[in-house]
Amino acid sequence: MSESLQGAPGACPRCRSTATIAQSKSPVAGVWTIFGCTTCFYTWRSTELEENTNPDKYPRVFRLNPAQLATLPVAPIIPPLRRP
Amino acid sequence: MHAYQDLREFLSVLEHERQLLRVTEKVSFEPDLAAAACALTKIGETVPAILFTNIAGCTDAQVVMNVHGSWPNHALALGMKKDAPLREQFFEFVRRYRQYPGELERVASAPWQELVTEKDINLYELMPLFRLNRGDGGYYLDKACTVSRDPDDWDNDNVENAGIYRIQVKGPNRLGIQTVPQHDIALQLAHAEARGEDLPVAIAIGNEPLITLMGATPMLYNQLEYKMAAAMQGKPYKVVKTAKGLDVPWGSEYVLEGRILGRQREMEGPFGEFPGYYSGGHRYPVIEIDRVSHRKNPVYDSVYVGRPWSELDYLQAMTTSVPLFVQVNTTFPEVIAVNALYTHGLVVIVSTKTRYGGFAKAVGMGVLTTPHGLGYAKIVIVVDADVDPFNLDQVMWAMSIRVNPASDIVILPNLSVNLLDPAGQPPGMVHKMIVDATTPIAPDIRGDYGEILDTPEGTDAWQQKLVALIDSLKK
Repeated sequence: MSESLQGAPGACPRCRSTATIAQSKSPVAGVWTIFGCTTCFYTWRSTELEENTNPDKYPRVFRLNPAQLATLPVAPIIPPLRRP
Repeated sequence: MHAYQDLREFLSVLEHERQLLRVTEKVSFEPDLAAAACALTKIGETVPAILFTNIAGCTDAQVVMNVHGSWPNHALALGMKKDAPLREQFFEFVRRYRQYPGELERVASAPWQELVTEKDINLYELMPLFRLNRGDGGYYLDKACTVSRDPDDWDNDNVENAGIYRIQVKGPNRLGIQTVPQHDIALQLAHAEARGEDLPVAIAIGNEPLITLMGATPMLYNQLEYKMAAAMQGKPYKVVKTAKGLDVPWGSEYVLEGRILGRQREMEGPFGEFPGYYSGGHRYPVIEIDRVSHRKNPVYDSVYVGRPWSELDYLQAMTTSVPLFVQVNTTFPEVIAVNALYTHGLVVIVSTKTRYGGFAKAVGMGVLTTPHGLGYAKIVIVVDADVDPFNLDQVMWAMSIRVNPASDIVILPNLSVNLLDPAGQPPGMVHKMIVDATTPIAPDIRGDYGEILDTPEGTDAWQQKLVALIDSLKK
């Protein structure tokens, strides 16, 4: 297990942002913790395979740079406001 | 025909029919749950649902998958015998679909109102969430009915919508939702956003099997899924109104109430999607949840989405074929049946009688112009009435014998398709193709077909006799 169960998630495996938090802990104490990245919204559980928890093992094809987020396509488009 | 009151009743029927597998050994959320559900659909098309009750780190979590993931389970969901052939399920589905509308039965309370959370909502604690595929951006609610109304026509029940949309859990009370332009909810969201408002939603998880099928059915905008479910089950559909006025199934396990935030988009995805590819990341609408209700000891229902075939393909099988058939058959009563089982109807096979030369191509164009066809129906294969569109041996025979590419392939350039079709160029646009695999008839005199083979006298009687004899061999 690469992460502490005490709420220290480290960098996001996907975008390497350090804006990460512990979202919840297992009902049976000490089994797993769910972490979340507040930059790219990636979510992972401490007990998942390293390809989902360790930034160095995370598949390159799914990695993100936080700068990319603002360039992703928007769907559906936001319509113009109606005139009052 | 049977009206299941909730998921629990359906699971007990599946168990009685030996179509439910309980896994009591300890499993991990990842990768066990998705791997087992994926493996099930590789085994065959008669496999059971699978219920996990001993998940590492949990005290009482119950997760069920593959509830719809076989033809016997699909038949039982419709209240038919579990060995009902595919073609029979199609025609029975059509018969009931044409009974629309059934009625709503509004009641004051429901079991899902037993436990309510309104403060410090944390969906990660309230539900057994988990990852399906390694590249998914997070944990998804992928089998929930999302209920919404049209802000421009709020009190009109017929345009209320209960649809299955993919929803990513992105924070304790924050979700992302995919509303592609062909979906009804996208129209409602556009109306809310033009008004500068949020769109109230209720997300119902763990439902009896029929409303899940209806939520996956591309019916017309002014057809309400609950009224179709009522027609399909031959009994009024029981719903409960939320404080915001949204109708929610009486039998749901969990109900999340909240709002799609008007005029906001945010990173969502990727998610392994129905075409068998990851969707990529987009900026999609955002939902904030204000209230979570659930039963005691709730059962969490999820669908594994993978490279076809998976459970999702059963959910999108008859539910795609039947509305396409009903809509095309209204214009062309010569149409006999529609098979849109493949990838939500990106490929459609239509069998039809033909009245004169060129007729089959017109039927093909009719499929393209149905509401669902606008976003799917990339390839339409039209076969004669003597070909069963659900029997691919027969379809391939028709393709091999009744097609001359010189005149039987029609390409229509630059038409609309679902954004998730990876072949789109740009995404959302594609050429479409009609393959006329019917026998040319006058005045379209082409080919030299002569006399078609029939069967020797007595073949049908021999078939019946031999089936019985072969069965006796197995005893």
